[in-house]
Amino acid sequence: MAENATDLFQEEDTQKGKHLIFALGNEQYGIPIGHVIEIIGIQPITEVPEQPEYVKGVINLRGKIIPVMDVRLRFKKTHREYDDRTCIIVIEVSDLCIGIVVDLVLEVISIDDENIAPPPKWNKDSYSRYVQGIGKVGDSVKILLDCKKLLDEEELLELHTLDMNEE
Amino acid sequence: MHTHVSLEPMQEMFIFETLQLAEQLEQRILSSENANSNTASIDEIFRIMHTIKGSAAMMMFDQIASLAHALEDLYDMLRTEQTIEVDSRILTDLTLDAVDFIKQEIDKIQQGKKADGDSSPQMQKVQIYISSLDRNLQHKGMEAATITKTSQQQPFYVSSCQNSGTVKSRAFIAHLFFEDGCEMENIRAFTVVHNLQELCQELLFSPEDILENTDSVKILREQGFHIVFRTRESVEEVNQFFAQIPFSEKVSVQEVGEREYHAEPLVQAKSSQVHIQEEVKNNDPLLISMGKQGVGSQLMTVSVEKLDSLMDLVGELVISEAMVSQNGDIKGLKLHNFQKAARQHKKLISDLQDLAMSIRMVPLEGTFQKMNRLIRDVSRKLEKEISLKIIGEDTEVDKNIIEKISDPLMHLIRNGVDHGIELPQERMAQNKTKQGTITLEAKHAGGEVWIIVRDDGRGLNKSRIVEKAQRAGLTTKQEHELSEGEIHSFIFAPGFSTKESVSELSGRGVGMDVVMQNIQKVGGSITVESKEHIGSIFTIKVPLTLAIIDGMTVKVGQSAYSIPITSIRESFRPREQETICDPSGREMILIRGNCYPIIRLHELYKIQTDIYEFHKGILIMVEHDGKSICLLADALLGEQQVVVKPLPRYIKKVQGIAGCALLGDGKISLILDISSLV
Amino acid sequence: MKRVLVVDDAAFIRGSLRVMLEGHEFEVVGEAEDGEEAVKQYVALKPDIVTMDVTMPGMDGLQALKKIKELDKNAKVVMITALGKEDTVKQAILHGAVNFIVKPFTAEGLLKVLNKV
Repeated sequence: MAENATDLFQEEDTQKGKHLIFALGNEQYGIPIGHVIEIIGIQPITEVPEQPEYVKGVINLRGKIIPVMDVRLRFKKTHREYDDRTCIIVIEVSDLCIGIVVDLVLEVISIDDENIAPPPKWNKDSYSRYVQGIGKVGDSVKILLDCKKLLDEEELLELHTLDMNEE
Repeated sequence: MHTHVSLEPMQEMFIFETLQLAEQLEQRILSSENANSNTASIDEIFRIMHTIKGSAAMMMFDQIASLAHALEDLYDMLRTEQTIEVDSRILTDLTLDAVDFIKQEIDKIQQGKKADGDSSPQMQKVQIYISSLDRNLQHKGMEAATITKTSQQQPFYVSSCQNSGTVKSRAFIAHLFFEDGCEMENIRAFTVVHNLQELCQELLFSPEDILENTDSVKILREQGFHIVFRTRESVEEVNQFFAQIPFSEKVSVQEVGEREYHAEPLVQAKSSQVHIQEEVKNNDPLLISMGKQGVGSQLMTVSVEKLDSLMDLVGELVISEAMVSQNGDIKGLKLHNFQKAARQHKKLISDLQDLAMSIRMVPLEGTFQKMNRLIRDVSRKLEKEISLKIIGEDTEVDKNIIEKISDPLMHLIRNGVDHGIELPQERMAQNKTKQGTITLEAKHAGGEVWIIVRDDGRGLNKSRIVEKAQRAGLTTKQEHELSEGEIHSFIFAPGFSTKESVSELSGRGVGMDVVMQNIQKVGGSITVESKEHIGSIFTIKVPLTLAIIDGMTVKVGQSAYSIPITSIRESFRPREQETICDPSGREMILIRGNCYPIIRLHELYKIQTDIYEFHKGILIMVEHDGKSICLLADALLGEQQVVVKPLPRYIKKVQGIAGCALLGDGKISLILDISSLV
Repeated sequence: MKRVLVVDDAAFIRGSLRVMLEGHEFEVVGEAEDGEEAVKQYVALKPDIVTMDVTMPGMDGLQALKKIKELDKNAKVVMITALGKEDTVKQAILHGAVNFIVKPFTAEGLLKVLNKV
């Protein structure tokens, strides 16, 4: 255990600020490279019943069974048909391994802290709950995601109850 | 030279070995308590305490070491004094207390905490018992604390053994101390003398009675060792000799003139001494009796991680073999030699798999033996008399399962002792034997292992259960409206408890519902049969192994589902008119006079499929615990062994799905949990 | 590099001896759990030094020492003993054990004794 912590430390040091940038429609998002295990092309996903809409099912990654989330659906966007540019980014967050389906993977880029602005005020309908900050790279803006919140189910429950109360 | 070697790398081994010894010890004392301690047990326990003492001292766990030492002394006394009358209960209590302390401390060490327990209360009790045994002995002078036997040797006094020759002999006076803490200074002194005498014509030393008088140790520590001798060796050689004495310090060696030599008090005293020859024991009988260890064990210890990795790899190998032999690329091709080689390949892997599976299998013996201790402690506490009968303890179960059913089993037994077996007076009043019996039985049945816990206690009280169930809101029916089976099953429902006051032993919150949940987690089930005043029988059924199952894979739309073969009774394509509907709209089918409910898998799991007419699909009759239902699927895909993998944590638990499996072609199928579908 | 045969019925002690001797001019070339095994290993390995536990089930250290000395009068055997075994240790010295060390011992103590063998 201790070994992993030091590794992580070192990794974080050399990878500090590096984000993997992907696209969903016209918007670009980023996640810290430290969480990314690998990137694979879209492959058949085995459905699992009774899961939230955005949990598409599971895939077989060299013998390991990984759950897959469609980020578009998680962010309540419309579903887009998967094509040959669609990718699954396999991330690891606090011992949980999960693949997220994205339209397009773009690049890995370093964003200094000074170029990251705090997230916008919370708006229940959009994805802003999952945003860690807004990164400015040249002229473009990348929405930096908080992986933990992306996976957090409790939050989903809150969201759901809130929705219900609103109705 | 300053060597600082820590024994920390040995900690794991220390923990492992000591725990193993502690378990052995516990078994021994419990079995000998009932059989009224025999010499073999006393000997074994003595040796175990001695070993634990030694290792604990090396690792500097002094509290453990001193406690083990105290017990070692006690058992040494028991094995040397055949006429001692021992109260087995007291002896067992003392020994078990020590075992508990040791286990406790080791637990702390394992968790990285300090072993800060104080064993002096237990030690005191042991010492008190030793003194009481002492008093009961006929002859005096037996000190239990120190095991130094009175030596039968004559005072050791070296006489000159070299002939006088032409080389002049020199006289020396030497003085030295032994290092603090080296222990057995008297024997060290003896060793010096023993080695030096060969070089001397004359050798005298003080303190003299280094062998028979342990007080000499005190003198050696305070005043050092004083040697006066005459030798033909050179000064260098003499100095070299003294430099080579381990643990010596403040060594002074001086050559002296004849006058000084004769003036030496030791030399003076010598003239009035009588030379006594050293006595060497020549007739020790050779002890060839073999201990349990024998000549080199046939067993080996392996780390659990390595074993788990091995299991995983074998599992992967099974899958990859299927991926090769069932590969789409070669489908339909006639490859005679390849097929032959593939068959051989498959056979080898199958054998490997069987072997790997057998490694995972561990006898229930260990778990059952733990119950021995539990019953003794609990029945003592509650003042009940209970005997435990164990049947089929060599029945083997997957090691992962054993770990998970140990707690539920203990709870079941604790319940049996607490609520089941009555107090001796109560039993006698009912014309039962004063001593209650709990029987623990294990056996293989089909693809499962059954663990049966029987007691001849008071049985389940139906009225009280119904009352409790009503109060807990679990039912609105009256007792006569419920079947015996239904009433009994209430005890497994969450929020239930049959005792008004929560018993101190059974504790709050760990009800039979938790027991059932834990058993279900490993894919097992628990049922109860009971007759009031006669007793109860709890039957736990667990699958033989979690890892690899024989599954029938079926197609439902685009998805694949696997059903454990052991649950399947039959499968068939029904004719259109055979299915019927009951008043509440549930679909059923009549087969050989019996009605079975039907579950449409596509409906249950909302799967898109074209097959929704029975006669176009396939019905699979599955059974669990005496109940059978039929499942509707599109088609059978085939029977194959699949490696069971749990669904990833992120996936929400689905009722009816036990896990998932990787099929030969790389696809994933979901494994159905029949017990929750019927 | 001196070759050492380690004899003790407790795997923990044998392991500890290995750990303590590592990196010094001693190489543990074999282990034995009891006296019988010790004698066999001695014949097979012909070590420079034997560390011999005094108390072992079956054939004990003293018996094994005697047998080894019978086979090789120049054998160098160091006895490892717990307190209370003074008599046995004395017998061992008389039968040719070159020295002894008392449990529990430290690496320093062990090396002191072995270096002076």
